[in-house]
Amino acid sequence: MKLHRYLSSLLLGGALALCQGSVARAQAPTPAAKTTDTVKVGVLHSLSGTMAISETSLRDILLFAFDEINAKGGVLGKQIEPVVVDGASNWPLFAEKAKQLLDQDKVAVTFGCWTSVSRKSVLPVFEEKKGLLFYPVQYEGEEMSPNIFYTAEAVNQQATPAVDYMLSKGYKKFYLLGSDYVYPQTTNLILLEYLRSKGVPLENIGGGLRKDEAGNIISAGKYTPFGHTDYQQIVAEIKQFTSGGKACVINTLNGDTNVPFFKEYAAAGLTAETCPVVSFSIAEDEFRGLPAKQLVGQLGCWTYFQSIKSPENKKFIEDFQKWLKATNTQGIVKQGRVVDSPMVLSYDGVYLWKKAVEQAKSFDVDKVVAELEKGISFTGPGGVVTTQKNHHLTKSVYIGETKADGQFKILQEFKNVVGEPFLKGKFKAAVTTPVTNAANALAVAHP
Amino acid sequence: MATAAHAESPRETVAHAVVLTDNADEQRRLVSGLAGNSDPDIPRLLNLWKESGFFIATAPAGGWQGLAEGAKVAVTLGDDKDADDKQAASVLATGAPLRDPAGQPVRLVATDLDNADTDFDLRLAMKTVLDLAAVTAADPVQRRQVVEQIGLAQDPAKLPVLRERVKVETDAHVQQALRVAIALLELRSEDAATQIAATNTLGAVRALSARDALTTLARETETTRPQVARAAQAAGKAIETHLQVVNFFGTLFRGLSLASVLLVVAIGLAITFGLMGIINMAHGELIAIGAYTTYLVQNLFGNGMALSPFGWSFRLPGLNAGGWFYESYFLFALPLSFLSAALAGVLLERCVIRFLYRRPLESLLATWGVSLVLQQLLRSVFGANNVQVYSPSWLSGHWTVFDVLLGWNRVFVIAFAVAIIAGTWALLTKTPFGLLIRAVTQNRAMAACMGVRTERVNVLTFAFGSGLAGLAGAFLAQIGNVGPSLGQNYIVDSFMTVVVGGVGNLFGTVISALGIGVTDQGLQQILGNPVLGKILVLCAIILFLQWKPAGLFVTRSRNLEG
Amino acid sequence: MRRNFSRSELIAVGVIALLGLIVLPALNSAGLISNFAINLWGKYLCYAVLAISVDLLWGYTGLLSLGQALFFSLGGYMLGMHLMLMIGKLGQYKSDLPDFMVFLGYTSLPTFWQPFRSFLFAALMILAVPGLLSGVFGYLAFRSRIKGVYFSILTQALTYAGSLMFFRNDLLMGGNNGFTDFKLLLGLDLRTPGVQRGLFIATVALLLLVYLGCRWLTMTKFGLVQRAVRDSETRVLFSGYAAANYKLFIFVLAAIIASLGGALYVPQVGIINPSEMTPDKSLEAVVWCAVGGRGTLFGPVLGAISVNALKSWATRAYPDSWLIILGGLFILVVLFLPGGIASVPGLLARTMRRRKKSDEPIAAVPATAVSAATEA
Repeated sequence: MKLHRYLSSLLLGGALALCQGSVARAQAPTPAAKTTDTVKVGVLHSLSGTMAISETSLRDILLFAFDEINAKGGVLGKQIEPVVVDGASNWPLFAEKAKQLLDQDKVAVTFGCWTSVSRKSVLPVFEEKKGLLFYPVQYEGEEMSPNIFYTAEAVNQQATPAVDYMLSKGYKKFYLLGSDYVYPQTTNLILLEYLRSKGVPLENIGGGLRKDEAGNIISAGKYTPFGHTDYQQIVAEIKQFTSGGKACVINTLNGDTNVPFFKEYAAAGLTAETCPVVSFSIAEDEFRGLPAKQLVGQLGCWTYFQSIKSPENKKFIEDFQKWLKATNTQGIVKQGRVVDSPMVLSYDGVYLWKKAVEQAKSFDVDKVVAELEKGISFTGPGGVVTTQKNHHLTKSVYIGETKADGQFKILQEFKNVVGEPFLKGKFKAAVTTPVTNAANALAVAHP
Repeated sequence: MATAAHAESPRETVAHAVVLTDNADEQRRLVSGLAGNSDPDIPRLLNLWKESGFFIATAPAGGWQGLAEGAKVAVTLGDDKDADDKQAASVLATGAPLRDPAGQPVRLVATDLDNADTDFDLRLAMKTVLDLAAVTAADPVQRRQVVEQIGLAQDPAKLPVLRERVKVETDAHVQQALRVAIALLELRSEDAATQIAATNTLGAVRALSARDALTTLARETETTRPQVARAAQAAGKAIETHLQVVNFFGTLFRGLSLASVLLVVAIGLAITFGLMGIINMAHGELIAIGAYTTYLVQNLFGNGMALSPFGWSFRLPGLNAGGWFYESYFLFALPLSFLSAALAGVLLERCVIRFLYRRPLESLLATWGVSLVLQQLLRSVFGANNVQVYSPSWLSGHWTVFDVLLGWNRVFVIAFAVAIIAGTWALLTKTPFGLLIRAVTQNRAMAACMGVRTERVNVLTFAFGSGLAGLAGAFLAQIGNVGPSLGQNYIVDSFMTVVVGGVGNLFGTVISALGIGVTDQGLQQILGNPVLGKILVLCAIILFLQWKPAGLFVTRSRNLEG
Repeated sequence: MRRNFSRSELIAVGVIALLGLIVLPALNSAGLISNFAINLWGKYLCYAVLAISVDLLWGYTGLLSLGQALFFSLGGYMLGMHLMLMIGKLGQYKSDLPDFMVFLGYTSLPTFWQPFRSFLFAALMILAVPGLLSGVFGYLAFRSRIKGVYFSILTQALTYAGSLMFFRNDLLMGGNNGFTDFKLLLGLDLRTPGVQRGLFIATVALLLLVYLGCRWLTMTKFGLVQRAVRDSETRVLFSGYAAANYKLFIFVLAAIIASLGGALYVPQVGIINPSEMTPDKSLEAVVWCAVGGRGTLFGPVLGAISVNALKSWATRAYPDSWLIILGGLFILVVLFLPGGIASVPGLLARTMRRRKKSDEPIAAVPATAVSAATEA
C-alpha cells in the first residue's frame, strides 16, 4: 500500500513537473515574441540516435544564425522563431516531424536532414505540402526536387576534384571504400566512370566490382554496414593493394565507422606518405572524435575549411565562439567547438533564404523559390555562394590535408564550381572535364 | 640565403627553410639538399617539423636580439607553460633562448604564433631525406622499412646506395629486404638477363610487394621480350600461392583477435546474464562508461578538460604530463574503468535489478529503459560527438611475421582476453567469494539457509560483471570509437556469444567466441564481403541452437522447466 | 475469467468502431480534424496491431519474441515492392524501373520483382512471406524446445540478420534508403487526403478485426491450452498436448498479424527501410506491450498509442531529453506497474475498497504482481 502511495505520488509529481516545464517554456518567450511579429522556421535534425554525432552541430549553427539575424532586426521585420524537432535518427519519424512542421507549425522554411534516407523520407512530404527545405550535406546527386534547395556539395564539387588532385600527384591505384548506402555507392560508380575516362585501368581500382547478369558494373568498391567495428580484413587487403606503391584510398565511410578504420589503418603502419586516404565524410567536426595525430597528411575535400583566411571567415568563427559562450540553450556543448563545411552550408542556407525572402517581399514558398532560382549570391565564410536554377549552389571547392590539431591545410582551390546533380553517364566519353568553371581550375592542375 | 646554405649546419638549414612559408619550392630545395647528410640531428628535426613542433615568431616593435622589427624567426617552445599560457622560446637555428633587446629571455603564447606547416610535396622531400638517412639507421626495423619503400619506388638512381649497403648489412631481415629492393630496381633494367635474374630472385623469396611490378613487367614485355614475360608470370604465380598461405594465417590471427574482442565484451555478460540470469540490456552502456572513463583519465593526464553538462560548466585540471608518463595513462585507466563501471553496476542493481530477480524477461525491459537514459546522459555530459582517445605508442605499431601483419593492439587484446578469463576463472573457482557466487547462483534459497548474505553477494557479483564491461570499454576505446551509442554496436554480439556458449558456463563462452570470431573472419576472407559473412554467422548460430538448444555446454539441472 | 464478451467490452468496442470508422473520418473530411492528425493516428494504430501480435506471443503464450518488427517490416516491404512498381514513369528518372535500380545501373527488372506488378500477388505475399519465414523458424525452434530467454535472443538474432541483409544494396531492395516516394495505390493518388482517410479507416477495421479475432481465439479451448503452455509447458506436454504445434500456430499467426499492420503502415508513413527491423524496434514494440499491460488485448493497443503519442510530443517539446523521459517511464512501469496501464483501474478500485475498511487489518495481501515486486 505504501508502494501504491509512493507510486501515485511519484506519477503525480512527474506529471506536475512536466506541466511546470511546459508552462515555464511557454512563459519564457524569446525576446522577439514580446516586441514584434515572428516567423516560424523549422529545424529538423537528429539530436539523438546514431546520427546525433553529426547533426547536433548543425542545430547549433542554425540557432546561431537565427540569433544573429534576429539581433539585426530579423527577416522582413519579423523575428525568426525556431521550431526545433528531433528526428531521432529514425526515418519514418523524420517524415512525421516534417508533416508536423508543415501542417501544425506552418513553418516558412525548414533547415534539416543529414543522411540521404532522411531526405528521401521527407521529400514527398515537402513536395505534397509545398514546403521548402534547405539540405546542407554533401550527397550523391541524382535528385532535383522543386521543394528542396541543395546547399550541399554535389559529387562534382567534391569527389571528382579530389580525384583530379590525386591523379595530378601521380597516384595510379585507387581503392574505393565506403559505407553501404546510396551516397558511397553512387559516388563510387561515378568515380569509376571518371577514373576510366582518365585512363586508369580496371585492375588499378581496388575494393572489388560487381556486375549484373548483362555484365554492366553495378557496384564498385568495398562496403561496410553502419556501426561496423572490425576493419582488420579490409586494412590487410589495402596493405596488399598498396604494396606496389602509388596507391591511395578513396574513403566514403560514414562518420562513425571512420574511427575503427583509421585506428586499424595506423596500427598497420599505413600513413599518408605510403598510401593517403581521401575522405569525403570527415570534416573538422568529425575530427574531434578521431586520433588526429595519426592522421596527419590525410586528405579531405570540401567547399569550406575552418582554416580559410578571409575576413568573413574570421568574423564568423569569432562570432560563433562568442555566441556559444553566451547561449543558454540546453544541450549545446561549449568547449572545443569547431566549424566545418556542413555547418557553414547550413549557415549560408539561412542567409540565402533571408535574401530571397527580402527580394520576394514575401514568405510565400513559390515566390521565395522563384527568387532563389534567379540566382542569389551571398558572401559566406567559405567565399561567395550563388544559387542556381537547378537548386544547387555555385561555390569554391578546396582540397586540404589534415594537421595534427585537427584542422586542414588548404592545398588547392577550385573557384566557382557549378553544382551538377546529374553526373552518371557523363564521363563515358574519353577526356572531358565536368563543368565549365571547374575546367579552368583543372587545367591549372594538369599543366 | 641560398648561397649561405652551403656553410650552414643542418639545424640552420631547417631553421631557414621553416620561415620560407611563401616559397614552397625553395623550402623543398633546402630540405632535399640535406639528403645524404649523416648528421643524426636531421631525422629528429624533420620529424618535429612534420608534427608541427616549430613555430614562426615575428619580431614585435623594437625587435629582438639580432632581429629587426617584423623579421620572422623559427622558434621552439619549452614545456614550462605558466599561468598566462606563456612558454620559453628558443631560436631554432642556434638552440639558444630568444632574447629581447635588453637581453631578457622572451616568453611567447603558442596560439599567437603561426605553426610551421608542411605540405605534401615538402613531406615527400623530407621522406626522401629521412629514407636515405635511415638506410644506415641504427634500428634494423627502420632500415628494413626504408629499404622496402625504396624498392617500391623503383628509382634506379638509388641502386648504388643499396648495393653499397648490401655488402655491409649484418641483419638477415634487412639483407633480405635489400635483395628484394635491388631486384625490384633491376626489373627496370634494359638488359633481359638482368631482368630475368631479378624476376627469379623475387619469385624465390616470394616478395609480396613485387606483385604489381611483376604484373606490369609481364604486360610490358609480352611482345618485346617474351622470355622475360614468362619468367615474370612464373614468379607472379609463386607469389600468389604464397599469398594464399599468408592470407590463411592472417585470417586465423584476425579471427583470434575478433574472438578476443567478443570475449572481452561478453565476459561481463557471462557473469550477469550467465550466472545471475539478468538480461542486462544496459550492458553496452556500461561498456561505454568504461570507455568514457578512459577518455577522462587520458585528459586528466593531459591538459585537463572542460565539461558543460546541463548548462553547468566547470573545468577539470590536468596533470600536463608528457612523454612516457602520459603514455602510461592507459594503465591507470584500466582499473578506473573497472571501478566506475562497477559503481554504475551497484547503482543499477540497487535501484532497478534487485526487484527483478524473479522476472528475468522484465529485467530486459527495465534495463533497456536504463540504457536509453544512460545514452542520453552520456550525450548531455560529453556531447553528442565522438571523443578522441589516443592509443599509447606501445599499442599502435605492428610486427610482420611471415608476411602476416600482427598489430600490437590486436596482440594486446588477445593477451588481455586471456588475462581476464584467467582472472575470472580463478576468482570463481579459487576464492571464497567465488564459492559464494556459485552457491547463490545455483541455489539461492539453500544458500540463504546456510547463512550466506545473498543480497550482498548479488550486489558484488553484479558489480563484478559490470566492472568487466568497463574493462572492455577501456579496451574498445583503443580500437574503435568512443561515443554515446558505443555499446549498441556490441550488445547483440555479446548476447549471441554467451548464448551459444551455454548460459552459466565461462568455458563455453570462450569456445563460442573463438568459433564466431574465426568463422566470421574466414567467411569475410572467402566472400570478400564483410556483411555477408556476418549474416551467415547469424544464420549458423540459429541453426546451431537447433542442434544444441541450450548452447555448447549445458548446466545440468533436475528442474524440468529449467 | 469470463469465457465470453462482457457487455461493457462490447459497448467499448462498438464505440471505438463508430468513432474510428465513421466519426473521425467524417470530422476529417469536414476539416475539423487535420489530415496530419488522421495520418498520425493511422500510424499509431498500425503500431497497435504490431503490439497485439507481440502480446499474443508474450502475454498469452509466454514467448517473448524480440523479432516481431521483422515481420512487420516484411509486410511493409511486400506492399512497398508493389508501390514502387506502381510509381511507373512518375519517378525521378521517368523510367519503368524503380529509381534506386536506375541509380545502380540496372537496365531490366530482376525476375523476383516481376510478379509484384499485381496487387493481388503482393497481397498474397504479405501473408505468405512472413508466414513461411515464421513457419520455418518456429518449426526449427519449437521442435528443439528452445524457449524463454533463448527464444528471445534467437528471434533477436533473426531480426538482426534480416536488417543486415536488407541494408545491403546488393539485395535489390533499396538498401539503406529502402522504398519511398510512393505515388499510387490501386490507381488512387496516395498523397490526397481522401486516400489517406481511406487507409486510416482500413487500419481501424484491421485493428478491430485483429482484436476481435484474438479475443475469440483466446477464449476458445485453444486459448486455454495456449495459456497453459505459458504457465507450465511441461504439464501441458504430460497431459498429452503437442505444445510445439500450438506454439508454432500462434507464432505464425502473430507474424501474419504483424505483417498486415506493416503493410498498412507503409503507405501512410511513406517510407520503409531496414532500420525498421533492427532489434531495438522489436524491443520498442515489447515495451508498448508492457506499458499498456500484457496478458490483455486492449493493453497493447493502449500502450502503443500512449507511448508513441508521448514520443511524438516529447521529440518536439524536449528534443534534448525525451529519451530520459521515455527510458525513465519504462523503468517505472516495469518496477511499479507490472500490469501496465490496463491494470490501473483495478488497482485504484482495490485501493478504494481497502480505504473503506482501513480499520480492519489486512491479513493477506492479494497475490498481485505488485507484491512480487517488493519481494526479492
